[in-house]
Amino acid sequence: MARFHTLFTAIELEGPFEGGPPLPRGSNPRMLMPRRSVWLGRLGESQVGPTYLGGLGLLSLACGFIAIEVIGLNMWASVDWNIIRFIKMLPFLALEPPSARQGLHLFPPLDDGGWYLIAGFFLTASILLWWARMYLRAKALGMGTHVAWAFASAIWLYLVLGFIRPIMMGSWSEAVPFGVIAHLNWTATFSVRYGNLFYNPFHMLSIVFLYGSTMLFTMHGGTILATTRFGGDHETREIVDPGSAMERSALFWRWTMGFNANFESIHAWIYTFAILTTLTGGIGILMTGTVVDNWYLWGVKHGIAPEYAQVLPTPPAPPPGVAAEKQPHLGPSQ
Amino acid sequence: MKSLTIAATVVLVAAGAFVVFVPSYTGVPRAAVQVGLPQQVQFFTVAEQSRLNQSPAPLPPAPAGGADTPAHFKNVTVLTDVGAAEFMRLQTAITAWVAPEQGCSFCHGGSDYASDARPEKRVARVMLLMTRHLNSDWTKHLAGAGVTCYTCHRGQPVPPEIWFPSTPPQHNAFIDRQENWRESADTVRKFFPDDSYAEYLYDDEPISVQSTTVEPSGTVSSRIEAKRIYELMMTMSDGIGVNCGYCHNSRYFASWAQSTPYRWIGYDGIRLLRDINTNYLRRVASTAPQTRALTKVTNLPVLPPQQVYPQTGNGLALCATCHLGITRPLNGVNLVHDYPELIGSSRSVPVAKTAASPPPAG
Repeated sequence: MARFHTLFTAIELEGPFEGGPPLPRGSNPRMLMPRRSVWLGRLGESQVGPTYLGGLGLLSLACGFIAIEVIGLNMWASVDWNIIRFIKMLPFLALEPPSARQGLHLFPPLDDGGWYLIAGFFLTASILLWWARMYLRAKALGMGTHVAWAFASAIWLYLVLGFIRPIMMGSWSEAVPFGVIAHLNWTATFSVRYGNLFYNPFHMLSIVFLYGSTMLFTMHGGTILATTRFGGDHETREIVDPGSAMERSALFWRWTMGFNANFESIHAWIYTFAILTTLTGGIGILMTGTVVDNWYLWGVKHGIAPEYAQVLPTPPAPPPGVAAEKQPHLGPSQ
Repeated sequence: MKSLTIAATVVLVAAGAFVVFVPSYTGVPRAAVQVGLPQQVQFFTVAEQSRLNQSPAPLPPAPAGGADTPAHFKNVTVLTDVGAAEFMRLQTAITAWVAPEQGCSFCHGGSDYASDARPEKRVARVMLLMTRHLNSDWTKHLAGAGVTCYTCHRGQPVPPEIWFPSTPPQHNAFIDRQENWRESADTVRKFFPDDSYAEYLYDDEPISVQSTTVEPSGTVSSRIEAKRIYELMMTMSDGIGVNCGYCHNSRYFASWAQSTPYRWIGYDGIRLLRDINTNYLRRVASTAPQTRALTKVTNLPVLPPQQVYPQTGNGLALCATCHLGITRPLNGVNLVHDYPELIGSSRSVPVAKTAASPPPAG
C-alpha cells in the first residue's frame, strides 16, 4: 500500500479557518489574515496565518535585520561595492572578528572587528528575543515550554562559540567569523589547532546524539506512518489508552530489537537526544583551549587513544635550526 | 490531487535521471604509480605526465680536450672550471631548456655575446649559480637526481609553476582583514590566498599549528596562522601530488614520531625553497623584475594563462615549480649526470658578491 509513502500529504482538510483563541487584553493584533494554499498543503497544513509577532517578534526581526545588514554591507564593501563580484564571491566573503591584539576590548576600531561585534550583538539580541517570544507564545497557549528549552540548547552552543569561550580565552578573535567558507575554515583550523577534535569526548557525545536523533526520528516517523490506519496518528491518546496501533508498533520493535519505547517515551527520547547534541557540543567547545589544549594527547593520557609502536624507520635527527618545540615528539612508549 | 502528486514525483525522478545520465562524467584518464612505502600510491593524469614530465634527451658529449673557457670566452664568471667545448654544449642545452623558440638572442643581444646588456643574461648567471648550489649543497633533497634548468623551465622562459608576492587587498574603510582570494584564478589552488608563500617559503616563519601539551601552554597558533599553514600544506600536497597521509599521521599532525620519513624530505624542501627564494630568486628581482611590463614580448606567450592577476616583483619558487604534481620531478631522471658542469661547487663563488655586482652599463 503506497499510502503515506511519499513526502506529500495524502489528506488535505478543507473547512472554516481556525482563527485561534482570543488574545489577552493589551496584546498586539494578529497579522497575516488566514488563507488557504493548496501547494503548501501538499507539504503541511494548508491554512497559512494568522500569525502573532507582538513586541518581541518585531524587535527580534529588527535586530536580525540590522545584523544581516551589517554583515552583508561589510561583505559588499570588501568587493568594492561591485554587485557582480559580491554575488560571485558571496560564499567566500566574511566579516571577521577582531584581531588578537584587540583582546576583549568592547569597542575596537570598526575596521578591526568593530562591525563584527555590532553584528554579533544584534544577532544575539535577535536570537534571545526570539527565544523569549517562543517561551511566551507557548505560555499564552497554556502549553509546556519544551520547544523553548530545546531552542535554548542550540543557543547555548551559539553563545559558547561566539561569546562565552572568547571571554574565557580573553580574546574576541577566538569567535567564529560570519561567512560561509570563513566559518568552515574556522571549524577546520579549530580542530587541527587543538590536537584533533575527534578525541574530544564531548565532541564524540555530540556526534552520538546528533546521529542518534536522526535515527530515532526516522524510526518514530516510520512507525507512526506505518500504523496510521490503526490509529497510530492519535499518538497522545495512545499514551494513556493503548490501542491496536500501540500494540502493533510495540510488538514490531520488540520483534526487531527486543525492546521498545512506548508512545510517551519515544518523544522524550528524541527530545533528549536532540537537546543533548548541542548541549554536549557546547561543553566540548568550551573545554577546548581553556582546560585542554591538545585533545589527541589528552586521549593518550586518559587511555582513549592507544600509543602505537613506531613501525616506520626512526626519523633522522632534526636539521639544525629546528626550534625545540618542533623536535620529534616521542611518546612515553616509544 | 493524486494525479498532481504523481506528476510531481515523475518530474522529480526525471530530473534526477537527467542529472545522473545526461552529463558526461568521464574524468581525465588517470594512472597510478606505487612510489615507495606500501599504501603510497600516486595519481596523475596521463596527459600531464606525458607532456610536462618527459625529460629531454641529453646532447652528444663534447669532444675531449680543447681550450679552457676563461681563455676562450670573454666575461665568463660562473662556468670558469669548464672546457670551452663543454661550455658551448651547455649553452646549446640551456637554450633548448629555457628559450627554444627565442634562441640565443633571448639572453645575448646583438653580435657581442660577452655583453651583459640584456637583463635575461644577468638573470641566467644567477640561475646557473643557483643550479650549481642546489646540485652540490642540497644533495639530500635532490636524492641523486639533480636539477637542471629544465627541471623548472620545461622549455619555457618562465617556468609553468611559480608564484609572485601578492599585493595585499586594498584597505577599506569598512574592513581591513579580507582574505586575499584570487578571483581571476582558474584553478582552486590559485584561487586560494597565497599569503602563506611569502610567510613560509620566503620568510623564516616557524610552521607550527598544534599545541604539544595536554593542558594550555600558549603553544597553539592563532587561527589566522593556522589558516596560512593549511594553505601552505595544500600547496605542497598539490605540488607534489600527494595527500596529507603521505607525510603525516592525521591523528596527530604535529608528531614527528608518527609521521612517515617523507615528512623530513618535505621539511628539507621547505628549507631549500627558503634558501633559493631568498638568496637567488629575490636577488634577480632587482636585476630583472618579471613584472608584466618586462615579460611583454618574449614571455607573454608562455606565461601560464592563469597568472593573469596583477604581479609585482619577481617570480619565486614553490614545490610545484620543480615537482609539477609528482613526487620525483621528471620521474627522477638524472639529467645532471650528463651535464656535470652544473654540479660545480657554488660555495667557491661567493653568491652575494656575484649577484650584487652591478651589471655593466648598457
